[in-house]
Amino acid sequence: MTTSLGTPRTLDALEPALSVRQVLGLERVLAGEPEVVAGASQLDRLVRWVHVAEAADVGVMLTGGEMVLTTGVLLAGDEAAQAEYIQSLHRAEASAVVLGLGRAFPAPPDVMRRAAERCGLPMVVLHRPFPFAELTEEVQSRLVQRKFAAVSLSEAVRTALTGLITGGAPLQSLLDEVAAHSACPVVVTNLAHRVLATAGERSAVDDVLRDWERISRQAGGSEGDGWIRAELGGRGERWGQIMLCGYRGDTATGRLLADRAAEALVLHRMLGGSAHTWEEQSAQSLMTDLASGVVPARQLLPRARAAGLPVNRRTFVPMVVRDGDTAQLDRVLRLLGLPGLVAELADGVTAVLLSLPRDQDADALAAHFASRLRTESGALKAVVAAAGQRTVWDDVPAGLREAQHVADAVADSSDALELPAVVRLKDVHLRGLIRLLRDDPQVQSFAERELDGLLCAADEDLLAVLRTYLATGRNKSRTAQLHHVSRPALYRRLEAIEGRLGVDLDDFEQAASVHIALLAHDAQQG
Amino acid sequence: MSTVIRAALFQTAWTGDKESMIQVHEQAVRDAAAQGAQVLCFQELFYGPYFCQVQDKAFYEYAEAIPDGPIVKRFQALAKEHGIVLVLPMYEEEQPGVLYNTAAVIDADGSYLGKYRKHHIPQVPGFWEKFYFRPGNSGWPIFDTKVGKIGVYICYDRHFPEGWRALGLAGAEIVFNPSATSRGLSAYLWQLEQPAAAAANEYFVGAINRVGVEDLGNNDFYGTTYFVDPEAQFVGEVASDKEPELVVRDLDLAKLREVRDRWQFYRDRRPDAYGPLTAP
Repeated sequence: MTTSLGTPRTLDALEPALSVRQVLGLERVLAGEPEVVAGASQLDRLVRWVHVAEAADVGVMLTGGEMVLTTGVLLAGDEAAQAEYIQSLHRAEASAVVLGLGRAFPAPPDVMRRAAERCGLPMVVLHRPFPFAELTEEVQSRLVQRKFAAVSLSEAVRTALTGLITGGAPLQSLLDEVAAHSACPVVVTNLAHRVLATAGERSAVDDVLRDWERISRQAGGSEGDGWIRAELGGRGERWGQIMLCGYRGDTATGRLLADRAAEALVLHRMLGGSAHTWEEQSAQSLMTDLASGVVPARQLLPRARAAGLPVNRRTFVPMVVRDGDTAQLDRVLRLLGLPGLVAELADGVTAVLLSLPRDQDADALAAHFASRLRTESGALKAVVAAAGQRTVWDDVPAGLREAQHVADAVADSSDALELPAVVRLKDVHLRGLIRLLRDDPQVQSFAERELDGLLCAADEDLLAVLRTYLATGRNKSRTAQLHHVSRPALYRRLEAIEGRLGVDLDDFEQAASVHIALLAHDAQQG
Repeated sequence: MSTVIRAALFQTAWTGDKESMIQVHEQAVRDAAAQGAQVLCFQELFYGPYFCQVQDKAFYEYAEAIPDGPIVKRFQALAKEHGIVLVLPMYEEEQPGVLYNTAAVIDADGSYLGKYRKHHIPQVPGFWEKFYFRPGNSGWPIFDTKVGKIGVYICYDRHFPEGWRALGLAGAEIVFNPSATSRGLSAYLWQLEQPAAAAANEYFVGAINRVGVEDLGNNDFYGTTYFVDPEAQFVGEVASDKEPELVVRDLDLAKLREVRDRWQFYRDRRPDAYGPLTAP
């Protein structure tokens, strides 16, 4: 009966090794007609080295993981010594013992076999005379090759990743490199299990992300074979994980890759290669793809879901905030417990996409968000532009573009306009229309013609006064107040403007014409 | 009839003074109510710093009577105004020198339902609680609120499975676990113990932890507040480990029955064989 040692002895994961089974399967070893006579359940033990030893006290020379080859010449006729020999190998955690049958033992010795079976030590006999030197040469050279391959792979990956880091490469490049080695999807998550970045073949990555909600919600976090994780952290703080999802190679190599990748990612983050956190970069990439419409929204669903955005049976509110601080916007969302994504679409243009349960009042919550943003940021004039709510994910890109359009339309005159906390398309009136027509050559030439007197000798002060005056509905006291000038000083400026443009601003039609031209001019600049 | 309730948890950082801390929490009630939340639980000792980082009797002043003290009254009015059940983890003074780490439970109509007093009181560096609190002596109450049967198990209590089970036996559907716990000490347990308790006792758990480092010590409170369901699955994302956050989640209480029909832990337990557990 075989006594089991329990799990196979595992050596350091990075240490190259063959199993006993693999050694016995080698062609040159098969020539010796090996037969396992004890410990058959332990053949997956790893062989770190092959050692030829005839000494009776061989155990003291071993450090564990050795396959010991012997003819047993010093053991013949002494059953107590035979049993002790096996015991000493067991105590030294040898992987297996191989006994060449011949002069000392013509047949497998029962005492040794029973002792080996009791302690679960694989015992193999070779029925044909076999030069041990051939076996050691064969196995040692394979072990050295494996060790060299592991070191070589480790060094190659480390060199490549270090090169990328020192070259200022973004996170994505590092992950692409890791995925090229692992040939499986690579996912980086934060502590909230939110996917921050992925790499690998697109369809395979999408398959992983599609199932992400289930995977990420497993508190224990076991995903079965081929899922290799390495913790990301430093200075006593853990902040995420990198995962090889469904790695098909051997575990030791996968572990090596994951560890090298984790080291590189930690280094990359500590060196602070980007002004944005990984969370920000991840949201930015998703939102930019969504707003641009280059990738169909439907294809972005797995990424959105994996980024922590609830997408099933939701109402979406696409919003754009100009000159908003991404971190501040994110803080306000968290404070209010509103699920959503925040990302900078362009310099000074930040998109906020709320995802609300359908029973909630989306307009009221958007207003709640805008009002809290003003309180928290201290920016009383923070303008939140929102598109109409969308209940279908495919409509979200158009919504983001609408919100951006609204934000652009009021960008130049938000101080002068009496705007609600949340500005919508219906609030931007003529500005919205002009914004849409700004690239039309006829509109451009109209603007230049109308404003020529001010533009030819550019006077930013007069242009600004004119902008405010028209935006306030020709309210002189409000304009003077906003420009911190006295009323007489304002009158002088208005007269100068009228003189240079050759118009009478008290005449509604002329004022309207100049107003439209100025809106077109600003839209072209924006 | 829908069995889904909208529940909320609030994690935040110490503002520097008691009154502004209370106001932050009042605002959280309004924010949660604006989203239709029906129940909200705050963090442990919600209106103070986590003063147990030091042993200073000056902090005894934070204790007040429950339910007759001003804070409970203030939040009773707010609960009534917004129709929301509130769980208020506070510092309770029963009489001078008799102080507890307690949570008061207010129903959606503003009525006071009762309190739970923390049973297990730690005394280790950064958590000198025996200096401040007597061990709880009010048993394992369950509060029959408008949204369901609620239990409370405070901070260090969570390391002891017996209390979780007692709350389950008493009929809890959701157990709130308001906490103040530090990264270096317990981060490896935070997403292990409460999900395990939720699975073992087949109910929902809401775990709340404050955020930030306060002036009184080096404890790095790491937030990551969450709800977990009776299958030990997180409900939505885990909250930030650094920022204040309101967590609002829909919990389907029908899941209790579904899981309990699958696993009959309550039927198969053997209290007759558990005598050694209660031997002194």
